[in-house]
Amino acid sequence: MADITVSELHKEFGLGADKVIALENVSLSISGHAFVSVVGASGCGKSTLLNILSGIDSPTSGTVRITQNGRPARAGYVFQAARLLPWRTVMDNMLFVQQDRSKETRDRCQHYLEMVQLGDRGDKFPGQLSGGMQQRVGIARAFSTEPDVLFMDEPFSHLDAITARTLRKELNTIWAETGTTVVFVTHDVGEAVELSNRILVFAKGGRLADDIDVTLPFPRDVSDTEVAVTKAEVFKTFEDIGALAIS
Amino acid sequence: MATTLSTPPQVPKRASEEDVVRAAKRKDRITTWGWRLAGYAFFLGIWELASGRLMDEKLLPGPSTVFRTFGELWATGEVPGAFATTLGRIAIGFSIAFIVGVGVGILMQNRFLNGFFRDAVTIGVTTPGLIWALLTAIIFGNRPAGPIIAIVLTTFAIITVNVSEGIKSLPKDLIDMAKSFDVGVVRRNREIVLPHLAPFIFTGVRFGFSIAWKVTVLTEVFSSSKGIGFEMRTATQLFRLDEFLTWILAFYVLALFLDKVVLETLERRFFAWRGELKS
Amino acid sequence: MSADLRVAERTADTPQPVSVVRRIWRWITRSSLTGRLTFPVVCLIVWLLAIKVVTTIWPFAVDVLPTPGQVFGFMFDEIKGDTVAPHNMYETFAISLQRLGIGMIIALVIGTIIGVAMGLSKAVNAFFNDWVVAILAMPNLAWALFCSLAFGFGDIGPTIVVVLTGVPFVIINVREGVRNTPSDLFDMARSFDVPRERVIWHVLIPSLLPFLFAAARYAFALGWKGLVVAEVFGGQDGAGWTIKFWYDAHRAYGVVGYALLFVIFALIFEKLMFDQLSKRLFKWRPSIDAADVVEARFDAAAPLPASVAAAEAGATATSAAMGSITLATSGPPHQPVDDPSPPPPAQDAPKHPRSNDHG
Repeated sequence: MADITVSELHKEFGLGADKVIALENVSLSISGHAFVSVVGASGCGKSTLLNILSGIDSPTSGTVRITQNGRPARAGYVFQAARLLPWRTVMDNMLFVQQDRSKETRDRCQHYLEMVQLGDRGDKFPGQLSGGMQQRVGIARAFSTEPDVLFMDEPFSHLDAITARTLRKELNTIWAETGTTVVFVTHDVGEAVELSNRILVFAKGGRLADDIDVTLPFPRDVSDTEVAVTKAEVFKTFEDIGALAIS
Repeated sequence: MATTLSTPPQVPKRASEEDVVRAAKRKDRITTWGWRLAGYAFFLGIWELASGRLMDEKLLPGPSTVFRTFGELWATGEVPGAFATTLGRIAIGFSIAFIVGVGVGILMQNRFLNGFFRDAVTIGVTTPGLIWALLTAIIFGNRPAGPIIAIVLTTFAIITVNVSEGIKSLPKDLIDMAKSFDVGVVRRNREIVLPHLAPFIFTGVRFGFSIAWKVTVLTEVFSSSKGIGFEMRTATQLFRLDEFLTWILAFYVLALFLDKVVLETLERRFFAWRGELKS
Repeated sequence: MSADLRVAERTADTPQPVSVVRRIWRWITRSSLTGRLTFPVVCLIVWLLAIKVVTTIWPFAVDVLPTPGQVFGFMFDEIKGDTVAPHNMYETFAISLQRLGIGMIIALVIGTIIGVAMGLSKAVNAFFNDWVVAILAMPNLAWALFCSLAFGFGDIGPTIVVVLTGVPFVIINVREGVRNTPSDLFDMARSFDVPRERVIWHVLIPSLLPFLFAAARYAFALGWKGLVVAEVFGGQDGAGWTIKFWYDAHRAYGVVGYALLFVIFALIFEKLMFDQLSKRLFKWRPSIDAADVVEARFDAAAPLPASVAAAEAGATATSAAMGSITLATSGPPHQPVDDPSPPPPAQDAPKHPRSNDHG
């Protein structure tokens, strides 16, 4: 359960006439056992925000502080593509990101693999797994380091609807069991409503337009009425802030 | 008149940003060229130095010696004659190789003929030109048929491979689309088939040419009484390494010129759209 | 109406035996395998015919032209180890192979060092590039003649020729490997704070391996061709020298036969060695079978990391060969763009590089 404080975060690319503002003076704070979704149309800065939060990228100005009980937080990342080392087995991929290779660590990795229903595939190579399975390994890998905060960048956008649905449920279960804070970027509002207890809406130009709390009880199903209602409300917000405009 | 608003401070800032970018690009270009020239200076320098000190002048003539020798040879009038002979053989041999290569490539679209020619193409691609050079030298001796046949045998395969690739990858969907609009065969070929095949044929020609000239010179070393290869052999037998180097370098520069300057410029101009696809 | 009935009747009356013959004929003329088998037969016929024709026109050519009988007889004798030349086939090939091996190793070492440097630094690349292209385009013959004059007869000359023919290809392949390192995997490792040595060992080196492999394969294929030429001019033993031995003896069947033996030997050796190596080094490569294809289609456009795509590109020798020749002659596919601003963070490409709509 990390504490994230973002203050006047600003990011721009390019010079002169080609300048693009990816994030415009964004300020927010996250604490507690949060699952925060970042939604918005393409090009509104969602991925940029995630990259800066996770340290892959640095801001033009502004500050980011991510702490856990006062100390710097440990972070995990799940990508759009699984980003597994294709020349190592699944278990070796899990071990690659750990601090050590002790027996406890191995057991912990095995435990997380089982949480994503892949306990028996530890010795397979990523090339032998389907895309959905690879993504599950990616999720297990991220959670297995038991990070304080987990950044996820549209992890299910490349999967078919059925696999994605299963993985969402698994993600929700793992999140509920561990105490990790999750920052989850998606363009799918339904997914955001299904998984998160807070939704940040971004508009074109990297502007944080709205901040919605979702207090429905877990576990949620996409076919629940309340979920559908909340989803409609979020879309209404989109229209209000003009966030639905296509670039 | 002057409206001193907030805009003036902005404008110079933007202009200088773009200037910075342009200056950075120019500096980069200059550095690259600088290093490139440094490379030339370095390697030519080493060569020149090695010639007198590391190795006997006779064994490794430096670039200045070679240059001088070229001047001497040119003055005797041998150069144009030898070049003409060799280039003529390459031209004839390559033309035949091209026709054979394209023909076989087209024929190989049929399954039976594909099996038939497969091994021929494999042998063509993998056999060293030396073998053909020696063989044609033995069989044809001095006759001009020798080098020409050697060229055909070494080169046709690479052209066939490229043409075959091109034909196999013809965009059937585009052709079907054209057929559905009742576009005639001639126009279909001109607008779809030829533009698609052109890059493949071009690649085949480039590879083929680079192979062809090497084989020609090699064959001439063994068999001829004229041409660049023959001159190279004579120079070696007389232990005139400066002349040997002169011949090989002169021809090599010419071949490189033909390939990089002529063919590559042609390729760029005609196939600019392909470059965008590649990246 | 009645016309259709008549047609229907007619086809029903077609007698069976004819259709069987026709079917067999159709199978023969459509099959790739029969085509392949026909080729050597046709070659043999053409060969014998050509000899007949040439010897009737030029009777003195009888001595010079090799007949199939002579060539195969010669090859058979050589295989038995029964030869007029100073060494038998096996010793000779061993000598040549040794030179090839040493030359290849040297070429790989030098080439990798320079290739890595060129891949990492634009300055180094500008310095060496034109010379790499120059050496690449230089014919074997030039190296062979030069080395024979410089190093006399023996091992050194041919070995150096192998090095010279191989180095430019190694450089180009390694440079391409360095340029194609999977930045997505490096970013992933960085996001997990993986220590540097682990990243180098588990990410960098495995990602370079396919390119090194292609380089080695190319060094071998070109190396032995250069070696043979070098041995013709500058050896006192070895395959090339033996071919020249038969050439000097005016025995065309010797030239053809020995060349055939060596070429076949080199091809088999190359295939065996590299296929075996490839299986071990690259057993993680996904093999496409029917089930995978079906599953992949269901997985929509699951993206493959750039590393695997690059690895597949370096897979076969021919594609590597084509790739590196294209690289040498037309430069890398994307020129590094001079952009002083930091590039936008790597977006995962949504398109599956291997997927296609045709399945």
